[in-house]
Amino acid sequence: MSKKESILQAATWFFAKKGFKDTSMAELSKITGAAEGTIFYHFKNKETLFLAVLETVKLTIINDFDRYTAGKNFKNGLKMVEEVISFYLYLAGHNPDLFMLLHRHDAYELAEVNPVCREYLEDTYNSLVDIFEKAVNLGEKDGSIGPVPARKTALILFTLTDGLVRFNSYNLYNAGALSSELIAACRRMLVNV
Amino acid sequence: MPVISIFSGTFCREEPIVQGLHERIGYEIASDSDMVKKASNLCGISESKIEHAFSAKTSVFNNFTHEKERSIAHLKLAVAQTLLEDKVIFSGFSSQLIPRKITHVLRICLIADMKFRKEAAAAEMQLSEKDAAALIRKQDEERALWMQMHFETADPWDASLYDMVIPMDKTDVDQAVGAIHDHVKSDLLQPGDASRKAANDFLLAASVGATLTREGHNVAVDSVDSVVTIIINKHVLMLSRLEDELKSIAARVPGVLSVNTKVGKNYHQSDIYRKVDFQTPSKVLLVDDEREFVQTLSERLLMRDMGSAVAYDGESALQLVNDDDPEVMILDLKMPGIDGIEVLRRVKKTRPEIEVIILTGHGSEGDRKVCMDLGAFAYLQKPVDITVLTDTLKEANEKIRKKVETII
Repeated sequence: MSKKESILQAATWFFAKKGFKDTSMAELSKITGAAEGTIFYHFKNKETLFLAVLETVKLTIINDFDRYTAGKNFKNGLKMVEEVISFYLYLAGHNPDLFMLLHRHDAYELAEVNPVCREYLEDTYNSLVDIFEKAVNLGEKDGSIGPVPARKTALILFTLTDGLVRFNSYNLYNAGALSSELIAACRRMLVNV
Repeated sequence: MPVISIFSGTFCREEPIVQGLHERIGYEIASDSDMVKKASNLCGISESKIEHAFSAKTSVFNNFTHEKERSIAHLKLAVAQTLLEDKVIFSGFSSQLIPRKITHVLRICLIADMKFRKEAAAAEMQLSEKDAAALIRKQDEERALWMQMHFETADPWDASLYDMVIPMDKTDVDQAVGAIHDHVKSDLLQPGDASRKAANDFLLAASVGATLTREGHNVAVDSVDSVVTIIINKHVLMLSRLEDELKSIAARVPGVLSVNTKVGKNYHQSDIYRKVDFQTPSKVLLVDDEREFVQTLSERLLMRDMGSAVAYDGESALQLVNDDDPEVMILDLKMPGIDGIEVLRRVKKTRPEIEVIILTGHGSEGDRKVCMDLGAFAYLQKPVDITVLTDTLKEANEKIRKKVETII
C-alpha cells in the first residue's frame, strides 16, 4: 500500500469514527506515521482529504456493485431486486466505515457549499438508486413486477434498505433480524398480481 | 455406554483410530463432513459455506445477516440431534460443540510432537519439511481460534479439556483403540439422569438458537430443565423490543417451558471486533517516558491489530514484565530512574525469552553495541517509520514462534 493509500485508509476510519470536525491532521499524521507535510503535499488541506475519502467511498461502492452485477445472471427483475438488497446489506456489513461516513451529517453539510462534495454524493446515490431502478425496469419487462412508477419505486426500495443499514450503524436494533423480512416486504410491494 | 468425542491435531492418525473404533465397538461415525451435511439440510446454507465456519476467515459469510452464526447454530443442532442417538463417535471441530455439562462423553485428544507430525505430513502429502511445518502451524491456528470461540482457552491441546490425551508419537493405532475401548467400558462415564437431561437441554437450546439465527438474530442460548435463557451480547438501543421479539420466537419452539433474556457481559463493549492475528505479537510492552509518543504508538499498533501495554518508566516496566508476560518489548533508552539499558539487562537476565526492540532518539553507536551485546533483538532510531517498526515486531514474533516450535 502506498503512503497516499494508507493516509486515505486511516482518514476514512477517522472521519467515520470521529467526524470531520474532530479529526485532527496532527493525529492522522501520528497514526499513519506520515509527516503532516506529506499529508498536505498529497491532499492540500483537511477538506481536500475529506473529499478524497468521499471519492474513495463512492468508487468502492460503485465498483463493488458493478463487479457483483456483472457476474450475475438474474432470473428476473423481482429476483434482481431481492439480490441487490442482499448485496447492499452484505456490503454494509463488510465496510461499516464507508456507510458510517454516508450516515453522518458532515458530508451533507459540506455538500451545501462545496460542489465537488455535492457531485460525489450525487454520483454515489445515483448509482445506488440506478441499480434498483434497473431491477424494477427489468421486472416490468419480464412481468415479475407489476406496473409501478419505476423511478420512485427505486428510491423507496433504496431508502428502506439504507434505513436498515442505519439501524445497524447506530445500534438501534438487531438489523440482521429484519433483513429477510425487508426482502419479503419488498416482494409483496412489487409482485405483479 | 458413553458417546466418544475425538479432537485431534492434524497428522496424528485420527482417521485409522476412528475407523478402528467403529469396527471394534460398532459406534457410528459423526465426522465434521457428516455434521456439515446435516446442518446444511437443516438451514439451507451450502455445505461448502458451512465448512468455512471452522476456519478463521469469515469473508464468505454475510456479516449483516449473521450467516456464520447461523452456520454454527445449525452445526450445534446437528450435533445435539446426533448425540441423542447414542453409540456415536464425534470427530473433528464439531465434537467441541458438545457442552461440558453432558458427562457421558468420553473426550479424547490425539496429539503428537512436531517432529512426528511433520514427518507424517511430509510422507502423506509429499511436502518439504518447511511446507509441512507451515501447513501444520496454519491448521493449529485454526484449531486454536475455534477453541477460543467456544472456550476460555486458546490451547486446543489443554489436557483439562479431555478425559484422555493420547500422545500419538508414542502410541500405535491398535494401542490407542484398545485404550479407548477399555475406557468406554468403565462405569465412570455411563449416562446418568443428570447427563441425559443435560443432553436434552442441549438439544432444546440448540433448537432455539437455530430458530433465532434463522430469524437473523445473533444471541447465546442456554437451557436448564427446559427453561431457556437468551443472552444478548450486542448493544442495541431498542432493547426491550428486541427482548420481546426473542422471547416470542423462542416460546414457539416445542419443548420450551419458559424463556428469560439477559444482557451478557460483552453487551456494553463497543462493536469493534478485532480478530486475533497470529502473525503479530499479541503482547507488546511499550516503555517510554514521553507519554504522548507512547500513547500514539500504542494507537498506531492497535490500528494494525496489535495490542500493547504501556509503561512510562523503567520501574513500572519491570513490574509489568512480571505481571503481564509480554512477548515483545519496545524500549526507550533515556528515562528517569532505571534507564533503558538497565531495564534491558535485567529483563534479559530474568526473562531471556522476551524479545526487546530498542527505540531511541538519543542513542549513540556505543549504545547500539551495548544493547545488541546484551541481547536486544533490534536497535531502531526515532523517528521510526511505522512499517519498519511493525515489520521488526513481526520478525521478533517469528523468532518467538520458531523457538516455541522447537520446544514442542
